[in-house]
Amino acid sequence: MEQRNSRFCLFFMLSLFIIFLSVFLVSCGPNAQNKEQVKSIKVWHWMSDRENAFLELAKRYEKETGVRVNFELYAPSDTYTQKVRAAAQTNTLPDIFGILGEKRDFASFVKSGYVYDLTEEINKDQGSWKNKLFAKALGVNEFEQGNSFEVKPGIYGISIDVTNIQMLYNKDLLQAVGVDNPPKTWRELVEVNKKLKAKGIQGLVSGWGETWMIDCFASNYAFNIMGKDKVLDTIRGKVSYADPEWVEVFDLFREMRDEGMLASGVVTMVNKTAEQLFANNRAAFAFNGSWCVNVYKGMNPDLNYGAMLPPKVSDRYPMTIWGGAGSSFMVNTKSKETQLAVDFLKWMTDTPQQVFLSKETQGLPSNKDSLRDIPMVLSQFASAMDNTTHPNVWGVSESPLVIETFDKGIQSIIIGEKTPEQLAREVQKVKEREMAKKTVN
Amino acid sequence: MKEGMKYKIERFLKDSVIHILLIIVSIGCLFPLLWMVGSSLKTQQTIFSDMSIFPKNPMWGNFYLAWTKGGFGIYFLNSMLYTVTVVFGIVIIASLAAFAFSRLKFPGKNILFYMLLAAMMIPLPGSFVPLYVLMTRLHLINTRIGYILCMINVGLSFSIYLLKTFFDKMPVELEDAARIDGCSRLGIWWNMALPLAKPAIAVIVIFNSLNVWNEYILATLIFSSKNLMPLQRGLMIFQGIHITEYSLLMAGMTITTLPIILVYLIMQKHIIKGITTGVIVG
Repeated sequence: MEQRNSRFCLFFMLSLFIIFLSVFLVSCGPNAQNKEQVKSIKVWHWMSDRENAFLELAKRYEKETGVRVNFELYAPSDTYTQKVRAAAQTNTLPDIFGILGEKRDFASFVKSGYVYDLTEEINKDQGSWKNKLFAKALGVNEFEQGNSFEVKPGIYGISIDVTNIQMLYNKDLLQAVGVDNPPKTWRELVEVNKKLKAKGIQGLVSGWGETWMIDCFASNYAFNIMGKDKVLDTIRGKVSYADPEWVEVFDLFREMRDEGMLASGVVTMVNKTAEQLFANNRAAFAFNGSWCVNVYKGMNPDLNYGAMLPPKVSDRYPMTIWGGAGSSFMVNTKSKETQLAVDFLKWMTDTPQQVFLSKETQGLPSNKDSLRDIPMVLSQFASAMDNTTHPNVWGVSESPLVIETFDKGIQSIIIGEKTPEQLAREVQKVKEREMAKKTVN
Repeated sequence: MKEGMKYKIERFLKDSVIHILLIIVSIGCLFPLLWMVGSSLKTQQTIFSDMSIFPKNPMWGNFYLAWTKGGFGIYFLNSMLYTVTVVFGIVIIASLAAFAFSRLKFPGKNILFYMLLAAMMIPLPGSFVPLYVLMTRLHLINTRIGYILCMINVGLSFSIYLLKTFFDKMPVELEDAARIDGCSRLGIWWNMALPLAKPAIAVIVIFNSLNVWNEYILATLIFSSKNLMPLQRGLMIFQGIHITEYSLLMAGMTITTLPIILVYLIMQKHIIKGITTGVIVG
């Protein structure tokens, strides 16, 4: 019996060993790529919907220059972020990569010496590379003199696309109520909505259950009503949220509620649902980002719509929308192929490649020269790039608690729980409390 | 007579309530699966407009598209290899370790066991960076063996805990009898402990198969070569930052779910049988 047992055990252990050995041999076999003498660079990215377009561009680049570009996709973005952080700690970052997260994360990578300073390259030949790109696309990757992160001033990344958030209108639904052109002023918007309401068509739909979208909409009108300086002074604590002009901003939401301008359930709606409603012709207006072009194309390719700036309330200040760089790539300082990586990014942001990317992915190109060759709706989005701003480039930031009170308060106005004046007082109270905390600290 | 009638009505009512509850739970479990299969037969447009579970014009081609576009061929083979080797490794190592913890006396036994239990509390993402550093230093990054070893490590704590509890309940007299018959320690593990632990092993196989089959995050961390990635990588292709190809994603998910349902159906018999065996062992 002892002998039989030992035989069985031996058989088991041996089979286990064989399995592991075979797996080991398969994984450690000679790597064909290592034997080749082809120059190559590695790019890590997280954009699964652009994988095919990137692979096609890599093919074209290799054909043109003989340099092989290996795009490696790691999605979703959370996993990608973990991978990049782990690779940074082991000095195994690829030649080109992207940094996701806030600007302070970006700054820590730069300060740790992982990101190549592109300033010189970008300004070469009288700024020929820089001049092709939207200034807003560069801004997000730039650290200015005296930045709070104490990063050496310079440009440390290149955006391959840009994005902004605007209003969309359904041409067919507007024509059904006799409106040929989208409203340009708030009053016109109210009037159009009256006609839509009479015909039983829903007005504005947006994912305001995701509060940042409410924040974005309100911020647009705050800039339009009181101007950038006053908005930033409010954040600095120099102007009160109880100021009449802030009440005017909040009152727009009261008016939308009273006039029935909003689609039902908008307060708790996630953006995906809002996109479905607009794509299926069930709402005349939407408030959404430029990425929606790709989303609507997938949901309803026949949707007849256009993009427009949110109709302005006041003529005193321009309508300013949120927007800026989309996805950015950085070059690894420790890469052996820094110049090859820079050259590839230059090529990728050149007009033909940007037009190709835009057509394939329905995103806004970061190259200004490629606008004439891209689809109409994208061109409408892109034409408003000069009107864009973003909290990341304001240089001051509002306390998260104030933002939460602000956004949730607007939701309360929409469902009739609060008045604009009440909300203004409440936000100011929270602001004062937060300012007092800062002073104590 | 009246008592009998009352008893029958009571039993009927009780059974009805239990059955209604079970039907509701079953619908709750099956509906997502049905929805997944139904959605895999729709187009990207009809998925948002056609609310029926099964569409009038089913798009069977979605399965072919999902298979080719997602590159499922190589991923499928990879996942099979990872699942089989990891589960096999876990069963062997965990059963040996659990047997040792249950039957052998050695210094630091309890501390070692509690350390293993503590390892169960660490969530996988928490160990990402150290794992990546370790794998890089051992030159096991981007290798199958590196991933397999990590996955075995992930599944060990729970499996050892489960098997040790099982072995603890095993009567010592059985072991003594085997020893009198001339069985060695390894022989007792192989001839006595393992056959008796079949129900626990069935649970370990199902639990770990599911875990390895659905794993993706660790694979993303360890592999950089697409050809080494598991099946879940194929599904990621259909999920963009802003847009998701739902019909292909659902078709892909249906494909990936089938083998694991099969494993469950095979092992299910052992688990049910194991419940009664467990009582005898206890």
